[in-house]
Parts: sequence; structure tokens; C-alpha cells
Amino acid sequence: MIKNINLTLKIWRQDAPDKEGRFETYEANEISTDISFLEMLDIVNEKLIIEGKDIIAFDNDCREGICGMCGAVINGRPHGPQRGTTLCQLHMRHFSDNEVIIIEPFRAAPFKVIKDLVVDRGSLDELIKTYGYISVNTGGAPDGNAIPIPEEIAEKAMDAASCIGCGACVASCPNASAMLFVGAKVSHLSLLPQGKIEAARRVLAMVKKADNIGFGNCTNEKECEVTCPKQVSIENIARLNREFIKACFCSTAK
Amino acid sequence: MKKNWFVEILLSSIGKKLLMAITGFSFCLFLTAHLIGNLTLYGGKFFFLSYVTRLHSLGIIINIAEICLLFMAIVHIGMGCLLFYENTKARPIKYAIKVSGGGRTIGSSTMPYTGLFLFLFIIMHLFNFHFVDKGEKTIYKIVTDILSNPFYVAFYIFAMGVVAIHVSHGFWSVFQTLGLNHPKYMPLIKNIGIAFSIIIGIGFGFIPIYISLFA
Amino acid sequence: MLLDSKVPSGPLEEKWDRHRFEQKLVNPANKRKFNIIVVGTGLAGASASASLAELGYNVKTFCIQDSPRRAHSIAAQGGINAAKNYSNDGDSVWRLFYDTIKGGDFRAREANVYRLAQLSLNIIDQCVAQGVPFARDYGGLLANRSFGGAQVSRTFYARGQTGQQLLLGAYSALMRQVASGKVTLFPRRELLDIIVINEQARGIVVRNLINGELESYEAHAVLICTGGYSNVFFLSTNAMGANVSACFRAYKKGALFANPCFTQIHPTCIPVHGVYQSKLTLMSESLRNDGRVWVPKNIGDKRNPKQISESDRDYYLENKYPSFGNLVPRDVASRNAKEQCDMGKGVSDTGLAVYLDFADAIKRDGKDTISKKYGNLFEMYEKITGDNPYETPMMIYPATHYTMGGLWVDYNLMTTIPGLFALGEANFSDHGANRLGASALMQGLADGYFIIPYTLSAYLAGNSFPEVSTSNADFKESVNNCSVQIQKLLSIKGKRTVNDIHRQLGHIMWDYCGMSRKDSGLTKARIAVNDLKLEFWENITITGKENNFNQALENAIRVSDYLEFAELMIIDAIERQESCGCHFNEAYQTEDGEARRNDETFCHVGAWEYSEENENPIFHKEPLLFENVKLTQRSYK
Repeated sequence: MIKNINLTLKIWRQDAPDKEGRFETYEANEISTDISFLEMLDIVNEKLIIEGKDIIAFDNDCREGICGMCGAVINGRPHGPQRGTTLCQLHMRHFSDNEVIIIEPFRAAPFKVIKDLVVDRGSLDELIKTYGYISVNTGGAPDGNAIPIPEEIAEKAMDAASCIGCGACVASCPNASAMLFVGAKVSHLSLLPQGKIEAARRVLAMVKKADNIGFGNCTNEKECEVTCPKQVSIENIARLNREFIKACFCSTAK
Repeated sequence: MKKNWFVEILLSSIGKKLLMAITGFSFCLFLTAHLIGNLTLYGGKFFFLSYVTRLHSLGIIINIAEICLLFMAIVHIGMGCLLFYENTKARPIKYAIKVSGGGRTIGSSTMPYTGLFLFLFIIMHLFNFHFVDKGEKTIYKIVTDILSNPFYVAFYIFAMGVVAIHVSHGFWSVFQTLGLNHPKYMPLIKNIGIAFSIIIGIGFGFIPIYISLFA
Repeated sequence: MLLDSKVPSGPLEEKWDRHRFEQKLVNPANKRKFNIIVVGTGLAGASASASLAELGYNVKTFCIQDSPRRAHSIAAQGGINAAKNYSNDGDSVWRLFYDTIKGGDFRAREANVYRLAQLSLNIIDQCVAQGVPFARDYGGLLANRSFGGAQVSRTFYARGQTGQQLLLGAYSALMRQVASGKVTLFPRRELLDIIVINEQARGIVVRNLINGELESYEAHAVLICTGGYSNVFFLSTNAMGANVSACFRAYKKGALFANPCFTQIHPTCIPVHGVYQSKLTLMSESLRNDGRVWVPKNIGDKRNPKQISESDRDYYLENKYPSFGNLVPRDVASRNAKEQCDMGKGVSDTGLAVYLDFADAIKRDGKDTISKKYGNLFEMYEKITGDNPYETPMMIYPATHYTMGGLWVDYNLMTTIPGLFALGEANFSDHGANRLGASALMQGLADGYFIIPYTLSAYLAGNSFPEVSTSNADFKESVNNCSVQIQKLLSIKGKRTVNDIHRQLGHIMWDYCGMSRKDSGLTKARIAVNDLKLEFWENITITGKENNFNQALENAIRVSDYLEFAELMIIDAIERQESCGCHFNEAYQTEDGEARRNDETFCHVGAWEYSEENENPIFHKEPLLFENVKLTQRSYK
């Protein structure tokens, strides 16, 4: 049933990366349970503009759960309480009247706050830049059907490739580790015959890069898996580990 | 200076994890052997002492095993501390509210703390039973003496609970870390892990109760 | 101005080959002397950046998001067409070409479309080589499915995330070039101006969205790959940040804007629920295969759908189009939904929705079968609306999701400004008045991977380039102008928010320049848009500072361009006195209510040249010559 609810929001405000942040309290009244979480923030922002106050900055773009741009920590949960859902797809019907909602940015050493809830996730691009690809130039590719790929393998690769790069795995990991992100990319590419060729060099480079960037170490807490809006499985981390061991001890790659 | 490739592997995040997994798994094997040995306590004084004598007659092998255990303990604890330090550093600003999404277990979320506790426990345990003058008393006497103190009994039972919790995460983690993850077998491995931790917990935990009541 | 499409002569099949051969090439050693700017990192931008960098050019790539991977190509669900004929069902390059031309209601350039169909083959190969996990059958070969507007199965797909996977492929190729140092990435930058020196596009001015600084970059050519302008309707299936600014500012600098009134409306979207809705979500059209569309027969019947008996329901599509029924094309389905709602028969609280009912399909095939086919869509619907489509009929309503219009480009994808190219949805070239499903991805990648590397090289090889640096006066002047505009926006301090104005603009455009148009409405809309533009510049309020991360300001800049652009769209719609594809002028319809083209007078591309502020734009025509296909009238009765 659609109804209106009143909420108290405690939102992290931070003017710039090098400034001190603090929580500020906002009232969001008469919020329809039919709208999305980000639309609720839109309403709060519209009110702030009319009051002449600086709006709450938050990243978002596609608002249909695929671009990976949105994300904040809602009452201790990245992307909010609903499983398999990005923040933009979270709707207010999952909240109750007079609830206090605490909204924080994703936190990890490599995710510097740019403003309020906006963080810099360039480190994830850095990881892809570090061999998160197959080295093919445009042109000269063989026919798409030249190498048959078992359906099961293609599906597994697709499972891994469905990562949207939102960074919620890092945000939810008690250790701020990016191993689900790395594992998903390594799995996606090393499962496919096209990507196998460079598998050893790729896994070594990506793991090293993740360490150098300052992400934490994976200790198999599984928080990433339950938080991931695309429900990417930690099987991919196991595959990453396996690929890493293979690359270390069975290949000439360093 | 360019690091040796092997050192580099071991110091990478997965390398550290591997070291934790391999040493941890070795401790699981040790625990198994230790438990089997300790079960002889149920057989009474002479049965137990004959086991002890047999064990000690292995001589140099025991010394090697002890050195290995010590080495593994250093690695396990050292890596554990390093992981704890690095992982704390990876999130300099903590969340105001931290809620688990259901991935963590009691075991996984308390690893550093149960680990620290077990480290202290092992030191005490060694001082209780290993670094003692065994000239005057048999080891059986030492065990029964200590376990006649209800405080020690309670403490040992508690400690064995902690071991079980620590192992409950550690066991399946080994397989995950080594990449031995298969959709068909992983549920089985997880169940074995739970069963193993219960067996270890109850197996060791019951001994003090038995000794204090019946010996 | 004479619009020269530069289409090569010769038979259709040989045009591209011949053209490539006749093009001048750049010596490999000289390529590193050229700087190329690419704006936008969707399929077109990312693939172009990667391909050009591979050739050796120095590429600077810009995007408004925090990462190139987030461009809105990522949201495409269905698939990508290619004339591979793997299904052995009669497909060919020629058939894909013909379907696309016909689907576009004969308002696209033959040569471009044929080239697109040819290149579709290479795209699939390229993507597979990059590791795009396309769906495969049990034998390990690529799977195909059928899609609207075609009778063959030629659509390749990666679950419902084809756009995402293709974009990640292009993005990974791009990041590989970033690693090699050939591409420099500039995320969170928004284009504000294009610098034209000696009649050549030589650079851009962007706003750094993090610190608000205006930055200048020079280059030998600029590629605009910034997508479409559906957000002129405020609500659309486009991303929140999608905007017309880059294209519009190119237009203001002299590039012609072609066919701006060609905007496509998708019939099966989740309806608007209230005032604060920020965007619309599209659901696959395949739902219409099993769902039955209906509204209550009686106006104002607000009963629960379950209480409305069969005799009180109007299955209007089935009644009106007995042979195609619920499967009529996108535009027909959309227009009819609007018509029902305009009559007051719309359902939901807003009255702007129709039912799409699966009760009969579930009764006939069982819940399991339906769930297998549409399970993920039903889940998505429930996530957003909170209703369970297995129990209660879905509610749908049309929404804008693609714009065929865009910057006018010739066969080389170059706009009327030498050195300024437009790729992907940002150009107008390949879809005519209506785009077929699964063709947008194909076009973006064809432009980026396989066309621009050739045509750009020819441009660079065939022209001389005087030395230009960002300290040049033209850059300084542009930065100054942009800064003045930003200051002005911040200083208005009125009473309405930018979103509020944008929402109102959306209403005007949707009501009068949406899926059904008439001259009186368009004239009214033009006045309303003009008034709104005046109000915008007097009465908006923006908070925050210019030299900081300021999303309110970003939005204001985009909406200011939309307000001007909307007028251009209306002018174009008025000019085109016919109905074709997605442009439906109520005065021009057949007895069946279908679009009636006027091939005598309007078989052309309408391209607009910016004149002066508040002056009418200047109209130019590029006549469309059809040498290979016969123009026909479609019917779905």
C-alpha cells in the first residue's frame, strides 16, 4: 500500500576531500513509500535549494541498477538493506514511519571522499587498467564462432562479468578488500579461451596492483557476496586464488 | 631493491592468505593428532602413560615436529598480526554503524581476537604441561592435579570453545583460499568444517570434565 | 550551405571498400604527432578512443561520470544485431540493410546503413575476441534470438545485459590503451565549448566537475560521442546525467543539427508513479508476446483490476489490430496507450498507465513457463512497484528512450565543422525516423571501431594544421564566456529549482512534441518553451559554489541547453509536414491511423544551422536518394 512516511536522516556532510566531515540531521516528511531512495534524497535536496543551502552530493546516473555509479551506506549496509539491489533501485516501502536513517559514504582508504556521499573510485579503474583486459587490437579478430565455448563456461564468465564496479564489495568488506572485484574480472577473463592466454600475467598484475593501491586483504568474511547488488559469488575469489597459485608456481610469469 | 619472486608471492595479499591457510590447516592436523592422543586419557592412567612413553620414544622426530609447530606458529601469528594491521589501515575512517549483511559468522568476525586468545592460551597450556618439571610427577599426575582446580576446568572448557569457533571459520577458509572451491563439494566441505570444529571443541572440552569428575 | 554527404559513387556493396581505398593514410610515424579528443565513453566513444590509440594517435578521452565504464550504453538490455546468418534462416547483409532502412521509415541514408550492415559482422568477432560473454548454445556456438522489426534471428545477446557487456569490452580496450599511455583519461569533466580555429575544430573547454575549474585542451580533431537527448522530456529511460549540451554547443559553433524531432518512444516502461519520479525504467518488449494490453471500458473505472469483469475490459490493441494484436510496432502501441489515457481510461493513481495482463498466459501455459520466460522482468517490476505481476496485471506506459536525431554528419561521420566528428547516438545518420531494436549498440560500435579510424585518418592526412596551443586567444575567450555564463546562473537567486523547470519543460514536450503531434500544439509548445526559458534565466536558484563539486550547477547548465534545444526540436517538428516513423503529425495519417509519409516533399534530412540568439535557425536539406530500395507504406492491420 502506498502511504506517506516521515523520516529523520543523519547524513555525512563533507565539503571537500581534505575537509573534516560530520553528520547532519535532516527531516524528510511526507515521503511516499512508492518512490526510490534517491528520489527521496532529491526531495530533500530540492528543499535545501529553496532554503539556500548546499545540496547533499551523491553519485548516481542510470537509476536502473546497472551503471554502478550510485552507492552509499544506509544504516550500516552498502546499497541499503535489500539484497541484490543497488541504492537507486531501493524503494522507500522498505522503511517505516519515523525511522532514523544514517547515510554514510563508502569507506575505504583508496575511496577518498570527494564531497558528502561522493567517493573517488578511480582505484577500480586502476585495477582494470592493470591487465583487466584481453590484449586484442581492433580488426583481425577471428570469426566469433571460430572457438566454441561451452555454454556452462560462457554462463560462468557472464556471472562474473556482471559486476557493475560500484565498489560495494570493498565498502562492505570488514577489511576493505577488493578481492571480489578482482576475482570477478580475473574469473571472467580466465574462464574464456580468449582470456586464458594472458591469465597468469593478468592475475599476478592485478593482485599486486590491488595490494599497492592499499585495499585490505581478503579473509573470507563473505560480506561482499551478500552485499553485491549483482550477487557475484565468492566462488570467483576462490578461482582468483587458484589462478594466482597456478600463475605463481606453474607459469614463468612473474 | 627487487624482491625475490617467491618472497613477493608470499607477501602479496593472497600469499599471506596462503600462509595462513597452510599453517592453519597444519594446526588442524596437529589438533587431530593431539586429540587422538588425548583420548587415551579416557583409558586411564596406564593407558595414557604408555601413549606418552611411546610418543617420547620417537625422539628426534618429536623435536622436529616441535620446531615445525613453533615455526608455523610464528608464521601464523606473524601473518595474522600483519593482516590485522593492514586491514585496519585499509579503512582509516570507520563506519558510524556497522551491520553485517549475513556473510560473517561468529568465527570469521572474531578471528583476530580468538587468535590472540588462543596464543595466550597456548603459552599457558605449554607452561602447564610442557615446561614443567616432569622428574617428580608423571604427566598424568600433572594433568589431574591441574584439572582438579575447577577454575582451570572452566577455563579449559572455555578455551576449547574458542578453538572450535576459530576453527569453524578456518577450516572451510583453507579450501576457499587454496581455490579448492567447487559448487558440488563446497557445501560438503563447509559441513565437514562445522563437524570438525564441533568434534575438536567437544573432544578436547570433555576431557577436563571427565578428569575432574572421574580421575 | 550545400550539404555534401560525400557518399562515394559506385554500387552500394562496393562503396565502403572503394572509399577506404581512395582515402589518404597517415604514415605510422606521423600518427603520434596528432592529438585527438574524444568526448564521451559509451560504446562509440570508448571504442573510438581504443581503436585510435591502437593506431598510434594521442587520445584524450573525457567523460562526465567517475569512470568511463558508466556511460549509458551500459543500460541497453536486449542485444546487438549482426547479419551473421548463423541461424541459417535467410539473413544477409542486404536483409539487415533493408530491415533497417524500412524500419527507419525511409529517412536514412542508404550508403550509411549498408555500411553499418556490412560492419555488423566484424563487431561480433571483435567483441568475442575481447571476452564479451555472449550467450551460447550447448554446442558452444553463439546463440541468437529474434527481435522486433525482423523476421530472422540475428540478435546476439549477453543475458539482459548486452549493452553492459559490450561496453565493458570497449572499456577494457580503452583501459588497455590508458595503460599503454596512448590514451589520457579525464573523468568527471563536462564539455562546455568546442574551439574552432581557422574553420577547424581544434580543442575543447571542459568543466572539471570535482573542483569546478575550466580546463582547455587542444587537438587536431574532436569526436563527440555523447549520446542522445531523451532527457529533454525530463522523464526518460536515459541516465540522469545524459544531456544534449555537447551536441548543442557544437551546434552553436556551427555544426548542423539534423532531424531533432525524431525521438523514439518505447511502449513498455514502468509508469510514472508521482511528481517526484526522476526517471523511467524500460522493460523488454518481449513482454508483449504473452501479455494482453487492456484498459477499463468505462471512463473513470477505478476498481481493482480483478473486480473488472471481461465485459468491462477493452483489449484495445486486439480489437483495433486483429492480425498483429498486442504485437504492433513500438510507435503504434505507444500512441494507442496515450490515446486511451487521454480518453480518461488510464489506470493507476495518475491515470497514465494501461494494464499488461498475464493472467491468460499463466492459465494457458502455467506459472512456471511464464516465470522461465519473464522471471527476471517480473522481479524487476516488483522491485520497483511492489506489485507482483503473477497476481495482479502489470501497469505499463510509454517512455522516451532513444533519439534518432543528432548532429548532421557526412559519410565520414564529420559534422559541418571540419575536424569535428559525431559518433553513435550523437549523430543522426543511420536509423532514419525510427530505430529498430538491437541496432543502437551495432551503430555505436561500428562508428567507433571500424569507421572513424579510417575516416579520421583521411581527414588528418588531407589537411594542414597550424600550430595551436591552449594559450591561444580563442581558448581564453571561450573560458571567459563559459565562466560568465556560470556566474550568471549562480547569480539569479530566484525562487524555482532547476529540476522544477526541467520537469515543466518535460511536460510541455511530452504533451505537444511527444509521440503524437499537431501544428497547433507545437506552436503552443514553442511559446511555452520560450516563456519557460525566460523564466529560467530570471527565476532559478542554485546553491553551492562554482569552484567546487556542485551537482546543482551541473544540472542548471544542462537544463539551460535543453531549454534552447527544445525549441529547435519543435521547429523541426513543425517543419516536417508529414508523419514518418516516430514523428507522428496527427494531420497526416492513413485511415487506419498509421503514419502517412510524404515522400514527394519530405524525403530529406532536415538539418538546422544556428544563426543568432533568439533568431530562427536556418534550414538546410539533404535530399535522400533511394537507388536500391523501393519506398513502401507499412500496415499492421
